[in-house]
Amino acid sequence: MRLSFPYMGPTIVYKKLFELLGHDVVMPPKPNKEIIDLGVKHSPEFACFPFKVITGIYLKLMEKDVDTLVTSGGHGPCRAGYYGEVHKKILRDLGYDQVEIIVIDSPRDDYRYFYEIVKKLKGSSSWLQVARTIKIVYELTKALDEVEKQVEVLRAYNENGVINRIWLDAQEEFYQIKSARDIEKTKNKYLTKLNEFKDSIPAEEDRYRIGIIGEIYVVLEQSINNQIEEKVNYFGFEVERSQYLTDWIRENAFPFTGKELEEIEKKGEEFIEIEIGGHARGNIGHAIDFKERGFDGIIHLKPFGCLPELVSQSVIDDLSEKYEIPVLTISIDEQTADANVLTRVEAFLDMIKEKDMREVM
Amino acid sequence: MKNIKIGIPRALLYYYYFPFWLKLFSELKLKVVISDKTSRDLLDRGVKKSLSEICVPIKVMIGHVLNLDKKEVDYIFLPRFRTIREDVVLCPKFLGLPDMIRHSLPSLKAEVIADIIEAESDDISQFSNHKKLAEELKIPKKEMETALKKAAEFWQRYRNLLYKGYLVDDFLGVEKIEVLEKLISKFENSSKLPQSQKEELNSSTTEEVVDIALIGYVYDVYDQYINMDITNKLKEMGVRVHTFSMVREDIIEKELAELRKPMFWEFTNKLYGAAEHYFKKQEIDGVIHLTAFGCGPDSMLGQILEIDAKDYDKAFMTLRIDEQTGESHIITRIEAFIDLLRLKKE
Repeated sequence: MRLSFPYMGPTIVYKKLFELLGHDVVMPPKPNKEIIDLGVKHSPEFACFPFKVITGIYLKLMEKDVDTLVTSGGHGPCRAGYYGEVHKKILRDLGYDQVEIIVIDSPRDDYRYFYEIVKKLKGSSSWLQVARTIKIVYELTKALDEVEKQVEVLRAYNENGVINRIWLDAQEEFYQIKSARDIEKTKNKYLTKLNEFKDSIPAEEDRYRIGIIGEIYVVLEQSINNQIEEKVNYFGFEVERSQYLTDWIRENAFPFTGKELEEIEKKGEEFIEIEIGGHARGNIGHAIDFKERGFDGIIHLKPFGCLPELVSQSVIDDLSEKYEIPVLTISIDEQTADANVLTRVEAFLDMIKEKDMREVM
Repeated sequence: MKNIKIGIPRALLYYYYFPFWLKLFSELKLKVVISDKTSRDLLDRGVKKSLSEICVPIKVMIGHVLNLDKKEVDYIFLPRFRTIREDVVLCPKFLGLPDMIRHSLPSLKAEVIADIIEAESDDISQFSNHKKLAEELKIPKKEMETALKKAAEFWQRYRNLLYKGYLVDDFLGVEKIEVLEKLISKFENSSKLPQSQKEELNSSTTEEVVDIALIGYVYDVYDQYINMDITNKLKEMGVRVHTFSMVREDIIEKELAELRKPMFWEFTNKLYGAAEHYFKKQEIDGVIHLTAFGCGPDSMLGQILEIDAKDYDKAFMTLRIDEQTGESHIITRIEAFIDLLRLKKE
């Protein structure tokens, strides 16, 4: 099988997973103008932005003779769970009927299908190998996230380029890893490197922190959210996201872990009573959690027209007032301009600093 | 206690369940106020209070809630529809509707009664779906159950008429329950066929009659303001109008069974099943997908239908409506579509 997958977050993790399982893996292209245009052209007009980006990635991959695409499914009610089925239709309609899209749904939905695809993806590896592979990949993701969290803090007080260099090197090196032992070693190496910049962090009362919440794809994928984290860092604010790749993998692969996350997400009940799909309720919980942890503001990212996030956006004004935390919502789609995001972020952060200054005086 | 006024917004699933609710509240001897028909003014107020990128039906709903509040009702009846079929839910905006209303309209004077609806089928008459309503209005369980049962029977009679080929439109104008009861009895005993089944239409044109399946949610197809009265426009142009509510559950079920994975949204699935049914039907000349601006599930459904229509070689058109749709654009497009169908028939 010559396979590939959609691009989201540090993609090396998926590449690693499939490579370790012995497949011929083609790295998906990073979303850029060309891919987005291609995706927009062949997607329904009102599909959400991630759908269009993924369409573009798939079509670009078709040039590389990929025969299998692996993607995640879900049982809604967020549209993302149905992407795979619609992408199948679109690809077939465009004449790519030989490509297979494997949608990894929860075994609860259709266990026979789940068993079939697991068998297919497993290839000739033994179950023990599969278990070991999943463990390595999970540890790898955890390590990556740990390093990234440091990056998101330190970038606020140092030249973006310097810290980014270390972050890129780290990703590069993690990519070469073969065993669980290497992961720990590499992680420590880069954490030590980052530690050298620790002195640049100012005293607690002079630190500003921004929490980023929102729809997972636009929160995780830097190349389509206009590098929002770097922008915030650039103005001297630390960033933390509501979601990291580890959370996503944990949620999809090991649904029974993550007590502390569950508790945060439960806080959202105050504003959204029942689970409504996507991460809407969880995001509201994270917003409250960020406030309780002393963050200075929230940036809420969502693709244009995102169903669950529109509900959270509807309640967020009320939350902002009640919990006294400023919130900036940014909708992202193919028309979002970098300068627009930059201006809005800058104005938002200025406002936070200004407010803080006045309170001190 | 019976002086309480309960407001029902004339939006979203009102168009699906109104006979049920009217009967229910009349059995409970409660005074019901239904919001005014959608109008420019009502919609504008809704638009002002909603997020700009949210779908039109939600904007309409917010307009209706504000309209009810102005009428000084004590309660607004706004059930939270979660599921009406096993493992299938409604669109996230339905699931979060009461939250959206509460938190984006904090100045609302009326109390919102939002029971969570969790049923196994379209029949939502279980007591558990009306617990909060009973508690809030201090209605004894027994009384509530009797009323629910009567309402369910009444709604079933109405549904059978829809399956026979009547449009929701044929009943919509009626808000007095006695009149609605009479109307339903009249249709049940009438030997006249509904418009969608008639051989000859008394329309102004002399041209050949065509059959069009108008695929869209009840709140898009039957809100005459938001869709510029498309059903009547079609009828005047000599079209027999077919909609999803005429397709029996078992037929929809059969179509859905052919999918590896049905969609997650109940009404979207219903539309899908009905559309596939109409695609296969020889008598249907064309299919119009009527969709509202910003409808998420429809963005997926529309794509699927567009591709399937090609496979079945059926004429297909997407008609998108929003808060500023011009009337002439709708007329031009449906006229062109009908002309095309007539040409094809010749």
